[in-house]
Amino acid sequence: MAGRPRGAAPWLVAAARRWRDRPLWMLLPATVALLVIVLVPVVITIWLSLLNVNVSTLRQWLGAPFYGIHNFINAFTQPSTLGVTLGWSIFVSFAFSLLTTVVITPIGMLTAFSVHRRFRGRGVVRAIYLIPYVVPTFVTALTARVVFLNGSGLVDKILGGLGITNGQTYWLIGPNAYWAMQLTEIWATWPFIYLMTLAGLQAVPKEHYEASALDGAGKFQRMRYVIVPELAGVLKLAMLLSTLFHFGNFTLAFVMFGSPPPTGVEVLPIAAYYNAFDFFNYGVASAIAVITMVILIIPGYLYLRSTRLAGELA
Amino acid sequence: MARASAALEVAQPVAARSSGRHWPLRRRKNVQGEAEMLMPLWLSRLVVAVTVVVVVVPLGYMVLMSFTPNNDVALGTISSAVLTVSNYVHMWSDAPLAQGLVNTLIIAGSSAALSVAVGLLAAYPLTRFVFRGRRGYLYTLIGVQTVPGTTLLLPLFAVFSWAQTTLSVHMIGTYFPIILTYMTFGVPLSTWLLVAYLRSVPRELDEAALVDGCSHLGALWRVLFPVALPAVVVAFVFAFLVGWNDVLFASVFTNQSTQTLAIALERFSATSESTGLPVYGELMSAAVVSSLPVVIIYLIFQRYLVHGLAAGSTTG
Repeated sequence: MAGRPRGAAPWLVAAARRWRDRPLWMLLPATVALLVIVLVPVVITIWLSLLNVNVSTLRQWLGAPFYGIHNFINAFTQPSTLGVTLGWSIFVSFAFSLLTTVVITPIGMLTAFSVHRRFRGRGVVRAIYLIPYVVPTFVTALTARVVFLNGSGLVDKILGGLGITNGQTYWLIGPNAYWAMQLTEIWATWPFIYLMTLAGLQAVPKEHYEASALDGAGKFQRMRYVIVPELAGVLKLAMLLSTLFHFGNFTLAFVMFGSPPPTGVEVLPIAAYYNAFDFFNYGVASAIAVITMVILIIPGYLYLRSTRLAGELA
Repeated sequence: MARASAALEVAQPVAARSSGRHWPLRRRKNVQGEAEMLMPLWLSRLVVAVTVVVVVVPLGYMVLMSFTPNNDVALGTISSAVLTVSNYVHMWSDAPLAQGLVNTLIIAGSSAALSVAVGLLAAYPLTRFVFRGRRGYLYTLIGVQTVPGTTLLLPLFAVFSWAQTTLSVHMIGTYFPIILTYMTFGVPLSTWLLVAYLRSVPRELDEAALVDGCSHLGALWRVLFPVALPAVVVAFVFAFLVGWNDVLFASVFTNQSTQTLAIALERFSATSESTGLPVYGELMSAAVVSSLPVVIIYLIFQRYLVHGLAAGSTTG
């Protein structure tokens, strides 16, 4: 307000005024953080995947020999210390994330529909439903380890007691390991779909239920023509997010089983981790990380599109 | 709606009530109750009963085992009447859990505090000004949350070990890299939550402060921060839980003295099994202790959970 200081260049004054009136510099820390800890690492991963980086060249990885697409070829053709190739890990990851989503979606929807109605004890039931989802994954994994113990665990006790098996199944090693992990993940994550469905149901205007009830629509008709169309958007988003998150599952496979984990649970993050920190082949590990990223680009893009930022923020 | 009909019912003359003329009101209530019922009653009840049992039994088993002596857990003597609290006593000396807890509080706490500070600072221009690239920025905030953790782990490890060698400073094993890494998730998460919140705060509030001579920073700190406190707390909690729950980064970036609770527990489990004396009872008591605070926090913040989910949660 006091006029420009004598001698200061006009552009400098303008810059200072802009700095004061439109403090976009406040974005600086977040931008630096995003650049330094997300975007730059992603670029470095891509770069590392093209280099021959192992334990002796890691500390000077900038000078590691260029390796082209050899890491990718090796990842697909040569079994790691885990005894599996990249193709297998991709298969397990896909199976795991898709199967989880397919199973938890109906469970989550059914439970959300069930507790939408008011009844005594609903608050308690809702609180109970939250617990498996919010318990830290490492705790779920440790508990699953005890629950799936051969012979003495809860699962074998129940199956043996019911006469379904002889109660001596090895769940944590061998071919059953995948199913033990799959069941645990389903147990731990279905509340995600439940919560999203509940949020979607709350967004349906009350009048819609009432109007359809007064018009004499049956429960099935109402479900088919009123509820499901209203929920379609949020359910699609929930299934997309669920697939995305389960694809990146690391903790469960890492903590639930011994080290190295059995072949059946060697999902992509596990493959990348063991290649890097057990096999010390950072190039191959980076190639696996890059392939994971490429696979996730499509669901990631769909997710971005579905957030409907344009409508919300315009 | 329910309150309105109740008030109406009270307003009905007693005579009209006793003559049964209140039935239209009752019926209206029924229509509403029926409208809330999306599935046949028996099906809803069945679903609730089955899911509650399936959820509660493993949790109950975990708690029961936490009070059962180690050997009984390994042998599977569930019916043992010898419940004891000794697991809860011995686990602290058998595994460095107390140290892990302190480390987790320091690491997750600082990274959450930094994330919220950075996020609040960024949320202000993102909600108060229109500028080129704003929408792109918001999209980036969501986009980065879909980057898988393993994709970040390797390059961060490479950069930290490179910096360690080149600058000859100690890095891996200190608090610094792990706090920075958790901000990867904390910054986008808290920025997004705070943007969503500040958007609903009327601009007149901070504009008034600006007219009164506050700087933008002053308006943010003195006016918007107190108003946005609920969102700040929620953002802090979610960012904090990222650090509490993580195993992937902590298993690489921490050492014996800086390991978090999750890592202390994971190593406790791995070493006890390799020595042939599995301490499953103590493992379960440690598991109960490390999940109880999280469960309580979530039950308190239940209402905001869906919001946090939509903003991208990283439980993997």
